[in-house]
Amino acid sequence: MAANSSPDKGTRNLVIGMVVFIVLIGVIFSFISNKSSTTAAFPASVSESDGYGIVLNPEATPKVDIYIDYQCPICKNFEIINGGYIAELVTAKKIKMVVHPMTFIGVESILAANAAACAADEGKFLDMNLALFQNQPATEGSGVWTGDFMKRLGNSIGIKSEKYEKCVTDGDYVNWTKNVAQASANTDVNGTPTVFINGKEIHRKKTNSDPKDEYMDPVQFRAALAAAGVK
Amino acid sequence: MKEKFLKFQPWLTLLSRLILGAALLIAGGLKVGNPQKSAMSVRAYEILPIDLANFLGYVLPWLEVAVGSLLIVGALVKICAVIGGVTMFIFIIAISQAWVRGLSIDCGCFGGGGAIDPSQTKYLSEIIRDTLFLLLAIFLYRFPKGRFSLDK
Repeated sequence: MAANSSPDKGTRNLVIGMVVFIVLIGVIFSFISNKSSTTAAFPASVSESDGYGIVLNPEATPKVDIYIDYQCPICKNFEIINGGYIAELVTAKKIKMVVHPMTFIGVESILAANAAACAADEGKFLDMNLALFQNQPATEGSGVWTGDFMKRLGNSIGIKSEKYEKCVTDGDYVNWTKNVAQASANTDVNGTPTVFINGKEIHRKKTNSDPKDEYMDPVQFRAALAAAGVK
Repeated sequence: MKEKFLKFQPWLTLLSRLILGAALLIAGGLKVGNPQKSAMSVRAYEILPIDLANFLGYVLPWLEVAVGSLLIVGALVKICAVIGGVTMFIFIIAISQAWVRGLSIDCGCFGGGGAIDPSQTKYLSEIIRDTLFLLLAIFLYRFPKGRFSLDK
């Protein structure tokens, strides 16, 4: 071992100081860059009091909160299994639907959430929601989803507006996604999909032998909604 | 026997530092870029109040990066061994209680995390891995002086 010389000690303290400094900056940056913002722009259909979710049929009951990430494969399964029925109920104004597009999987989730919000301004949220899941890339963060992709996807469901394209290109609602994330975090949403009917989470299968699965069994999902008064 | 151990101990300390340090650095590094997900993993354990869980989700990855880096260069080894050991101990408790309570979560140790399908949980292997890291941390606490270290 080398003798205890002061230049060595200086190096050691310098290294410790640098590590602590960089890490402190990192922590502060993490907090600031994910903070929700009171000035973030969001679509007219978004309600702050509903956790910044996109709201369809604000006056209807029961209230169905759906937390998803557009890149999450299980959310895609949920949409395939129950999305048609949900859309039916929304169209018939039998439920208040609040969709919270979370963005923890990565930047493409933000692109998708932004595009969904832009589509909401065009009155096409349900179609865009479905189209996003139908066109979900096989792997997360694959780079398939781009701004151009979102524009084409919008066109394919009949959105022909420059406003929509500009909204996608400029990322009008990117900051709003942080508000959604923060509100979801404060509601203790620990995974996607998460569904609340009138504020109560539906039953998630606990073990492989658990017969109760209100997420992925469409009969049970309908029963849960029926129990909340959906006819 | 004892002489042999004394001869190899500095190298064993170096090896322990590198393994534990690299594991922490990688684990933290994979998470620092996505604090939303990291906070979600901490919430998924359902132990802490939400605010505290979210706070920890933001801070923990950076703490792992710091402790991992310092262990690799061999600075503040004893303190880092304590922090590393205590966090491993907490992880083991947290994963065990999730297992006992039948929560279906990914430990979120190396990115990932949150609620998952029951068939995808791997609690036992996660606990064994963290126990090995804990043993390394205890060894480093007992024998912090080793080869190629900034600490003297």
